[in-house]
Amino acid sequence: MPALLFLLLAAFFPLFAANAQQEPTFPAQKWTFQGVPGSWDKAQILRGYTVATQVCLACHSFKYFTHRDLMQVGFTESEVKTLAKALNMNIDQPLLTAQDDETAKATFGKVPPDLSMITKAREGGPDYVYALLTGFSEDPAEISKTFPQGMPPNTHFNRAFPGHAIAMPSPLSAPDLVTYSDGTSATIPQMAKDVTTFLDFVAEPERTERQRLGVYVLLYLVIFTLLAYVTKRAIWKDVKGH
Amino acid sequence: MTHDTPHDFGPKQVENDIRNTAQWFEDRLPIMGLVKNNLVTYPTPRNLNYMWNFGSLAGIALVLQILTGIFLAMYYKADVNMAFDSVQHIMRDVNWGWLIRNLHMVGASFFFIVVYIHMARGLYYGSYKSPREVLWGLGVIIFLVMMATAFMGYVLPWGQMSYWGATVITNLLSVIPFVGNTIVVWVWGGYAVGDPTLTRFYAFHFVLPFVIVGLVMLHLWALHQHKSNNPVGIDLKKAADYIPFHPYYTVKDIFGLGVYLIPFTFMVFYAPEYLGHVDNYVPANPMVTPAHIVPEWYFLPFYAILRAIPIKALGVLAMFSSICVLFVLPWLDTHPVRSGRFRPVYKQLFWLFLINFVALAWCGKNPPEGIYVIVARICTAYYFLFFALMPLLSRYEKAKPLPTTI
Repeated sequence: MPALLFLLLAAFFPLFAANAQQEPTFPAQKWTFQGVPGSWDKAQILRGYTVATQVCLACHSFKYFTHRDLMQVGFTESEVKTLAKALNMNIDQPLLTAQDDETAKATFGKVPPDLSMITKAREGGPDYVYALLTGFSEDPAEISKTFPQGMPPNTHFNRAFPGHAIAMPSPLSAPDLVTYSDGTSATIPQMAKDVTTFLDFVAEPERTERQRLGVYVLLYLVIFTLLAYVTKRAIWKDVKGH
Repeated sequence: MTHDTPHDFGPKQVENDIRNTAQWFEDRLPIMGLVKNNLVTYPTPRNLNYMWNFGSLAGIALVLQILTGIFLAMYYKADVNMAFDSVQHIMRDVNWGWLIRNLHMVGASFFFIVVYIHMARGLYYGSYKSPREVLWGLGVIIFLVMMATAFMGYVLPWGQMSYWGATVITNLLSVIPFVGNTIVVWVWGGYAVGDPTLTRFYAFHFVLPFVIVGLVMLHLWALHQHKSNNPVGIDLKKAADYIPFHPYYTVKDIFGLGVYLIPFTFMVFYAPEYLGHVDNYVPANPMVTPAHIVPEWYFLPFYAILRAIPIKALGVLAMFSSICVLFVLPWLDTHPVRSGRFRPVYKQLFWLFLINFVALAWCGKNPPEGIYVIVARICTAYYFLFFALMPLLSRYEKAKPLPTTI
């Protein structure tokens, strides 16, 4: 019974996973924050912040982000203050767009979502966000395959977006939309990669700490369990049938 | 009135020397005796296998949920305008808040995994049979209260799945004849799921775990009345068949706890969202219905039964019956042999039942269309057929010869 039950569980456990649910999958990207040694790259976070504040912020808010959060990835207080000051903000204010909901509705047909949880709130996480940002196309041949009658009004073709008709126009439509202070060339994939990293940091700033801490907890538990097993064997050695 | 042991109602002679504090206290409240009789010398069959670890594991999972839950309750705000934000406050600003919340979130899923295995063990080894019917029935009640608690807990973060899950499930009450719609409005505290609903769900989500603790006490009381069943399923009469709970089963349970905590911890640190739904990171919005509303994974088999039947009222009835049928199982299966080991037909039906249960979960997770509907109907039929076959099996199944001793 125990062995069979275990096999049954092991065989079917992946089936429960929410992640396995939707069909479109996105090419897995390499991210600095992944895995046990994962970390936030300060320079990349700054580049992502640059894209976020100079492009996304025109329409989207990041209500759970304050400039003070950047101090978790190695920014000093004075660096953070300088960045906030450039936006006429103090370091404890949430990062909100100046665009009001009425204008947004009139322009795009809907209010652009807050981006502070976006990598957690979409199937595919950061890989999806990257695929979306780099997935716009104006190739008529490609569009007509999905939309033979032309695009629905006020929408744009996107390869990653479910249904392929997204209200948002391509935000990273051309290289060098922003100028990086570290001299990195602002290609479209580079900007997409940087801003997605920033978005993931905003969505789960605890992530790298969590991934690092887990190893120690697991290591402790493995040793604990081995000792418990040895103790169990020793205590049970005289019980008939064992 | 006769008693096996005559009671002496006269004043019991006790030592009045308070300097002998432990004995003085024990004479007035024999709590050490209670612990000793139930956790130390308590006679336990010596042949229990690892399937018998899941009872104590369920107890630990419950305690862990209560402890983490209390800390979350210190920061959570049950108000539709603040609930989502307060969860993010816990994740971002509260010291170790992310860890406490991940433990609570993953802990709920693992609590269900443990309880499902615990129930499957009872089913396979006939632990529900006489004289343990009340023990089993209390377990089914615990399962029901647990489901209610988990459902209301999932509403609290006030994401899209919280809101729409609550809407779908509470709407099921509308099938009650005549008063259904009135009851739904009464449960909501308004004309839709809203602030009053969230606040009362929070109140229930807080208090029901303590109700479960009380039910667990009764469950243990009933267990200790007739002691554990065992894999062979025969009544153990010899003293040599039993070993004291401590140290044998305390150490075995501690080892089992370690084995449990490893995958649990792995999920907490490396895949906390794996069993959740991304839509719950979108704040609740009554104006936008998610493409596809699904409950938490542990409700999927029952959700599939609900949707397998095209008439809503019958679907709801089938869903509730699928759990309540467990109450009468001891009277459906009256076969004299307890353990599935010695029942060749029952054993196969049992494994098919488990596979069928997982298949139902798979249907529940997919949209109710095409092949999923057909599979869900076949699986729902087998779910109930399993129970319907029990009386026949009780009468005609020929068991393998039972050993007389373990």
